[in-house]
Amino acid sequence: MRARSSRRPWFLVVPALALVVVFFVLPYANLLVMSFFMPGKAEPYDAIPTLGNYTSALGDSFQWWILWRTLKLGFLTTLFTLVLGYPLAYNLARAGSKVKGMLLVLLLSPLLVGVVIRSFGWMVLLADNGLINSLVKHWGLAPHGLKLMYNEFGVLVGTVHIYLPFMVLSLSGALQNIPPDLELASRSLGASFIQAFWRIVFPLSLPGVFAGCLLVFVLAVSSYVIPVLLGGFKVITTPLLVVQTAVDVHNWPGAAAQAVILFAASLACIGLYFKLMNRAMRGLSP
Amino acid sequence: MRRRRLARAAFLALITLLYVFLIAPIVIVVVASLNAGRFLVFPPEGLSLQWYVKFMNSGPFVRSFFFSLRLAALTTVITTVIGTAAALYVIRHARRNNALRMLLVAPLQLPGIMTSLALLIFYYAIGLGGTSYLGLLIGHVVVCMPYVFLTVAAVLYNFDRSLEEAARSLGAGSVTAFRRITLPIIKGGVIAGAVFSFITSFDQFPISLLLSGVGTTTLPIQVFDYLRFSFDPTAAAVGTVNILITLGVVIMTERLVGLESLYVGGRQ
Repeated sequence: MRARSSRRPWFLVVPALALVVVFFVLPYANLLVMSFFMPGKAEPYDAIPTLGNYTSALGDSFQWWILWRTLKLGFLTTLFTLVLGYPLAYNLARAGSKVKGMLLVLLLSPLLVGVVIRSFGWMVLLADNGLINSLVKHWGLAPHGLKLMYNEFGVLVGTVHIYLPFMVLSLSGALQNIPPDLELASRSLGASFIQAFWRIVFPLSLPGVFAGCLLVFVLAVSSYVIPVLLGGFKVITTPLLVVQTAVDVHNWPGAAAQAVILFAASLACIGLYFKLMNRAMRGLSP
Repeated sequence: MRRRRLARAAFLALITLLYVFLIAPIVIVVVASLNAGRFLVFPPEGLSLQWYVKFMNSGPFVRSFFFSLRLAALTTVITTVIGTAAALYVIRHARRNNALRMLLVAPLQLPGIMTSLALLIFYYAIGLGGTSYLGLLIGHVVVCMPYVFLTVAAVLYNFDRSLEEAARSLGAGSVTAFRRITLPIIKGGVIAGAVFSFITSFDQFPISLLLSGVGTTTLPIQVFDYLRFSFDPTAAAVGTVNILITLGVVIMTERLVGLESLYVGGRQ
């Protein structure tokens, strides 16, 4: 009996591991292979190897422009969540345990409501005859109302709202590990609040900034619901194009190639970002 | 001194505004569901329950609502069992195996819409067909399992194994020791993981978008299909019911295990 229990009970991990390997790793490998197949006429693809999907996607200036917009929206979302998330995270990390529980509920509850419902909430607020425009017209601020959605602005409001909690959780994790004594010590030695923040708190929180930005960027460049509902098919991004190519045009190899290009482009951005971040960390450390 | 107080007040005002920004669209959905008019305008047009009546009388909405509930329940049962088992193995026997751990949480790292596309194409290749119930269920299980794994692993990480060994040395079998000692201690993590799994499945959008078909339409997809082409306040009633269910689940979790465990578990 003893001998058996000391053996590794590998059967415990097999179901989960098999699930991930068969229904996650293999499909992605298959997607990669698919991107080198010919688009089919009757079937969604023909198993003939070709580079045509990549050459046609990379030779299309429209697709380049859409990719550029996708990355730009991802970058802006990351920037805004960082700027808005930092004060929230700082406040959360320094709150007493009773207040913290309440703040966490406020912070997490948007995460727990589906993205479609939250986008609908923004539609009610931002639509041409929505609440904000009705207020604006009521007070005579802009007689024709403001164009707040079905453009990049609306999409950005939605993505910033959806990904802000992720950024705050990443940042507050790092901020929590900085002992408040460090800040107090620098203050008692004569540093102003701003000096203490820039010289002590911010540099020590960089790992959180790093992780949060990475997470939000990756999530934002691949968001689908928000560009559709708040962009109203006027703000086409690469994920929209991928789904359109796969479902409406029924061209699976083409869609696979577009998806691979989006992954490659985000990886390139992340690589660049690693380089910049390394330099920033070196510059800030004494 | 006065300037400092002013700066502090400004900071708190900013924090309050940011929380308003976070909560506003959710509160607005609830308000819009009780609004008499099609659009929420100022001044308000009065209260009405007509959107709830429309929701109740809409066959597609009601069907997809119950379909989503059943799918989420089944997903949660499967993910809770296999996710907990995997966490037990990884934390106790392969603590340093980073590759295994990363593989198990990989579905969280890649965008859902791409996973959905990859699965759609893969199902076709293995002859499962594009939009079967089984395919949809597997997709949900794949993206929900990592939540259970993470929350249970977080609790197990600090678990003192000598407790279980003491029970064994006092004559308890391995099943009894697990049921009477281990399970009560890791219960919090398991429940938190199950809650995350249920909510993630119930609100799941990208996986369902490409994998659900006729007869297997989930609620988020049904709402999305309505909103794509027109602005329909019935979505507000559906959303409010959705929010109430989530709120109920979260309050129950808070009572049972405390929300910190969700937070700690989710970020490890």
